[in-house]
Formats: sequence, C-alpha cells, structure tokens
Amino acid sequence: MRGFSPYGGGLLAAAILFGVSIAGSITQPAKTQALSAADTPGYWWAPNSGKTFPASADYANPTGRLRVLLEGGAMPTRGHPFFTALGPSGRACVTCHQPSDSMSLSAATAKRRWAATGGKDPLFAAYDGSNCPTLPQGDPASHSLLLERGLFRIQRPWPPRDLLSRGVKPDFSIEVVRDPTGCNSGAYGPAAEHPTISVYRRPRPLANLKYLLAVGFAYDPKQGMPLPIDPETNKPLSGNLMADGRASTLNAQMIDAASTHLELTRHLTPAQMKQITDFESRLFTAQQHDASGTDTDAAGAEGGPMKLAKSQPGQLGSIGKPVWSEYEAWEKPTPGLTPAVAAFRASVARGAHVFRDKTFLITDSAGINSPIGFGNPVRNACVFCHNMSQMGNDVAPGQVDLGTTNLPFADPAPQLPLFRITCLGKPHPHYGRVIYTSDPGYALTTGRCADVGKITLQSMRGLAARAPYFSNGSARDLRGVVDYYDRRYHIGYTEQEKRDLVNLMSVL
Amino acid sequence: MKALLPLIAAIAGTAAQAEDLRFVTCPVYRDTDAGKKSGCWLADAHETAKRYDVSQAPSKPDWNHMVLVEGALAKGDVGNPCGGIVLDPVRTSILPGDCTRHMLEAEGYTGRKFKLPVRNLTPLSVPRTPPPGPYASRTFRLFFDFDQSFVVYQYDDYLLDKAVDWLRAAKPKHVQIVGWAATDPDTVSGVALAERTDIARERAEKMQEALIRLGIDKGIISVEWHDHARPVSDPDIDGLVEPSRRRVDIVATL
Repeated sequence: MRGFSPYGGGLLAAAILFGVSIAGSITQPAKTQALSAADTPGYWWAPNSGKTFPASADYANPTGRLRVLLEGGAMPTRGHPFFTALGPSGRACVTCHQPSDSMSLSAATAKRRWAATGGKDPLFAAYDGSNCPTLPQGDPASHSLLLERGLFRIQRPWPPRDLLSRGVKPDFSIEVVRDPTGCNSGAYGPAAEHPTISVYRRPRPLANLKYLLAVGFAYDPKQGMPLPIDPETNKPLSGNLMADGRASTLNAQMIDAASTHLELTRHLTPAQMKQITDFESRLFTAQQHDASGTDTDAAGAEGGPMKLAKSQPGQLGSIGKPVWSEYEAWEKPTPGLTPAVAAFRASVARGAHVFRDKTFLITDSAGINSPIGFGNPVRNACVFCHNMSQMGNDVAPGQVDLGTTNLPFADPAPQLPLFRITCLGKPHPHYGRVIYTSDPGYALTTGRCADVGKITLQSMRGLAARAPYFSNGSARDLRGVVDYYDRRYHIGYTEQEKRDLVNLMSVL
Repeated sequence: MKALLPLIAAIAGTAAQAEDLRFVTCPVYRDTDAGKKSGCWLADAHETAKRYDVSQAPSKPDWNHMVLVEGALAKGDVGNPCGGIVLDPVRTSILPGDCTRHMLEAEGYTGRKFKLPVRNLTPLSVPRTPPPGPYASRTFRLFFDFDQSFVVYQYDDYLLDKAVDWLRAAKPKHVQIVGWAATDPDTVSGVALAERTDIARERAEKMQEALIRLGIDKGIISVEWHDHARPVSDPDIDGLVEPSRRRVDIVATL
C-alpha cells in the first residue's frame, strides 16, 4: 500500500505540472497545466532562459508534487541576476537552486543533467561541481560527489575568518588523514601556500526564507549570548542561513556565493542584490500533492506553500501552534476515501505525533547537551530542536552536532576527506582532545573546537524534492534520515513509527 | 580536607543563607521518562553515603564529567520523585574530571514532569512593558557555574533581559560592569577548587558585549574585573553562598 511505502514506483514517469503565470498577490491556488515527462524543457531552469517565473508551479517528485509559489505574482527573469549567468562559468544562482528541487538541487537532478549534457552543463563547473578542479573534468568519476550525493565543494579559508572577515585564531589544529578527492593536499588544503579546507555539502533551499531569517528570542542559548547584530540593519541575526554560519544575512550569502560558486571577479551590485533578495523573499515551497491521491491541504489539512506565505514566522511550537499540527485534521478519518488515501493521511497524522511526542535520550550532541545546561543526556523528541511552527527549523540559531560528520557517529564515508582535529585548549565536552571529522562545520567559522561538527538545522519543507539529506548527503532518502536518528540515539522506533515519520516528512 | 562542607549561615552584612551541602562527585542519571526534560539527576555524597536529587539546578550535569554540587535541603514536603534527598535551591557545575557514565532505570520513581522555570525569557513577539519608575541607581547581577562565563539558558538570560529592560527605561549615565572570580582555593571532596583569575575578565567582557548587542550605548559602559570574590546576598542566587561569588555586577548610575 502506498500509504506505507515512502517511494511508490513509477512516479518519475508521472506528469510534471507546470504553473501558469498569474499576476497579483497569492490568495488562491494558481491554476496548473500538465506537461508530459520528467525531462521536459520546463523542468530545468537554465541560466539566461528568459522565461517568466510563474506565480505558481507544480513539479513532480518521487512521492508527489512540489508547489512553488511566488508571492506577488509572476516575474520576468530576463536580465534578472538570479537567473543570469554573470560570470565565466556560465552558472547562475538558479543553476544550483532549482524550483523543481524546492530551490535546492537533488542528486537525481544532477544525474539527469549529466546525462542530458554529457557533463557540459555549468552545473559541473570544475571549481565546486567536481570533486576537485585538479581532476579530469570529462570523467563522471571526477564529479561523483555531486552525482551520487548532491554535494558541492565548499572551500573555506584556514585559519577561519569570522562574519566580518577578520582572522580568527582557532583553538584547534587540523590535519588531513584522508584525501580521496585531492583537494586537501598539494595546491589545496591546510598545508598549501594559501591554506584552505575543502568540505562537501548539499545546497540549502532558497525558499521560505522569512522563517530562516526570523528571530524568536533575543538570545542564542547555544552560545550563551544575545544574538549578534547585523551591522547594516542594527537588528539581531537569526543565525539560521548557512550550514556553517559563515554568512548571516542574504547579502553576505550572496557575496560569498558570487565569489565562489559563480566565480565572479566583481561584486554583485547593490541593485542586483536587492533584486535577488526581493525574489528569494517572495518564494514559498512545500509539497502540495501526494501520490497516494491526496492534496496536502485537503480535508482541513494545512500543508502546501500557501499556508507558509500567509503565516507569521519565528513562532515556537511549544507555546503556539504545535509543529506539524498542519495535519491534525487528518487524525479523524474522512468517509469515502480510498483505502490508500485514508491510510496515508492517518500515517501522516501519526507521524506528526511521533515527531512531537516520542521522546528519547539525546546524548553527546554539542549544541544540545552542551553547553546550554539541558544536561547530558536529556530526554526529548525531534521537536526539541525542530521547534519552529510551520518550518521545523530551530527558533534559536540551530548549530548542533548530530554526529553526521563526526566519528564515531558518522556513517562510513570513504569518498569524503577525513580530518583529525586536536583541541589545543579545553578538550571538546563530548569527544575529548582529538576528533575525527569529514566536515568540521561551524568550527570552520568560529575556530572553536567545541563547535566541530555542528551544522545549522535547516528548513524541513520540500524534502521530497531534494534528496539526499543531511549536509553531507549521507541519508539517501527520508527513511535513511529516520534510520540515522534511530541508530544515533538508540530511539527504538517501531517499523510503523518509521513509516509514519517518512510519510510525514514526504508531505512537508 | 573539607570533604563535605557544611557552611555557616552568617555572612556579615547580608541576609543570605548558607547552602547545606557542597561536594564533588560523579552524577547519575535516572531515566524516569515522565516526558520531555523529565530525567532525574542524582549525586552521591560519598562522605555521608547520602544520595541527593539535584535535578532542580538551572544547568544540569553531564554524565561523563564530575560535578560540583552546591545546594540546600528543600523545605516542606517535596516528596521523593527521583530516589534522592531533594536539594532546592541547588547549583551544579560541570568539572573537567572524567566519570564513567551511569544510568538507572526509573525503578518506580516517577520523576517530575517538566515545568517552565520561573526565570524564563519572553519571546520578542510579546510586547515588553517597561519597568515602572521612578528609577534610582541600582545593581544587577548574573551568576555563573564554576569557572564558566556561559550565560545559562532560562536563568542568566532572564536576569540579563530584566537588567536590560530596566537600563533601557531608566537610561543611566553610566554602567559599570564588574566581573568577579572565586579564586580563593578550596578543597571539596578531595578536589582542589579555585576559579581562574582570567574568568573574571571573561565574564566582564562577555557582559559588555552582551549589553552592546542589546542596544546599550557602548560609550556609557566601563569594565573591570577582580579575583578573591566575596559572597553577596541577592534574591536571584536563592540564598546560596558559594555560587554568589561567581558573578558579574552591572552597576547602573543615574
């Protein structure tokens, strides 16, 4: 039964529904128009396409359809900096932030682009779309991390630089234990003439941003300080934009991305950044339809992106609208449904309760068990950290070490580099003096050993459109996410609870 | 060796009461599973073979590390939800020493359902009411775990927020931040304890940065720090003596 199967077969062959442009603000769901196959021209947004970005568009994915809403109406993209190749690589922002993939990029999409272009698409730029620029670029093996795990190379300065690009004296040393890509040795890496650290990460979705920029409280409980202040606006920063916190504003993120992913030699102009910010701030994405046959906003449920566009961001679920209570209406069966739809809705509703209520012991996770004061261990549920209503990110800055990149918790990843971190001051509260990691995460921004392996929580919306998961793509599918948590924290989910969680996440 | 330190109540010039107990041990976690954040923290005072329930501390222990317990016996009938003599008020500070982690099952103990601490932050979405005047020069304090400068969640952040609300309303001419460190050596349960001198400066400078981030004019703030801290009486240290040394004073002058 589809209701208990995270990925029904044959969906990729199903129709892609592509939106019709409508003007004006979003008050009603846009009409949709059916197209025919997964690789239709409308599926992939190439730079300089000159198309109009629709007010509403639906894209097929393995479990249903994602809807992308542009609040305020359709927008011409000709000349728009988000959609225009501004640098020598031929890439634009949209290259790696595709509407069909919830403004991220799935590994499946990368594979399709390789097949369609023979690896010539700017997506596979040597700088970061290959495992390392030193490798033969025509060989798909040189792009295996992008093709298999959806990973881009992120090259960080070493020693780290803070939010204002000031040098940071780290309280740890870093050595390269394993360098399968070659980008942490020779002309690259911490021992190079211009020292850098190359790590590999999934692109984060550029949608629903008002939630990621929202500030619920004035304090960062994980750092034990009030939130940092944006020097441009003099307002507190949410700390929830980037995996490693290296940029805290959309402008800072754009500047970082332009000089790295787009390989621009000139800065984006203030007018270009304003255009991009305006576009990104109006984008809302969420799963709209499930392959079982139900819309995610049917029968009183509040799934889909329209609700996101209308809701107030930054609310803590524990004192307001409970996280994923969007599916509360599905707790009561609706007469006349097909067995598949009835079973699926019931599963999603149960999944929301498992997410909020199934507690387990969280252990040895910096950002949770230290240094806030919750204790190590602390009993809580998924919603402890994924606590923002409607979005499932952290209301506080969400830098947490789940162990996805740190040994011994990380899954084996021989294709990724491995670093040995030695804490020079205080030992790490949970790992001790020496830590082995494939990505030091937030520590590459703060220079603090206590932050090694912390990765910022992200939005949980549009998940079905953007596998694989976790910052290093270590979970191939949503079941892989659940299984990782189950192993990491010895939760003991039943098989049904696992399916319910997967089904819940598939409709977010 | 002051293995288990009964403190004397009298502190000259203050109304503070002494904590009954101060000891170092390895914590034990009891998984009573009474919902979120419900687990019990137990601490055995080896010198007396008594087991204490230290779960009411604002910052909880880490089962991998030694813990400094400072607390008073709870007054009234508080029951025995965790399998230990309840300390309340109590503070627990994580120390660097290693411990073998140990967890007990509930064994019939109910634990406590989590209740939001009295000292908890208000979300920014809730409009603030400025504290009513008239205003007079006054001192605010934040208290820290042993040898730490971390602003403890749902304790120090609340105290800081209250102070800033007042500072914004009263608009003092000068704010003096004084960091203190309890550097006088002591031996507790056979463990030599003395805070680093540097922690006084860390506390003061962090508080300066915190006030600036919260909108207090940098130009009216001065910072100093001292070691050999003495105890103070303050309602927000709940009558505990030794933890009152580990603090920052925010002295506002109108």
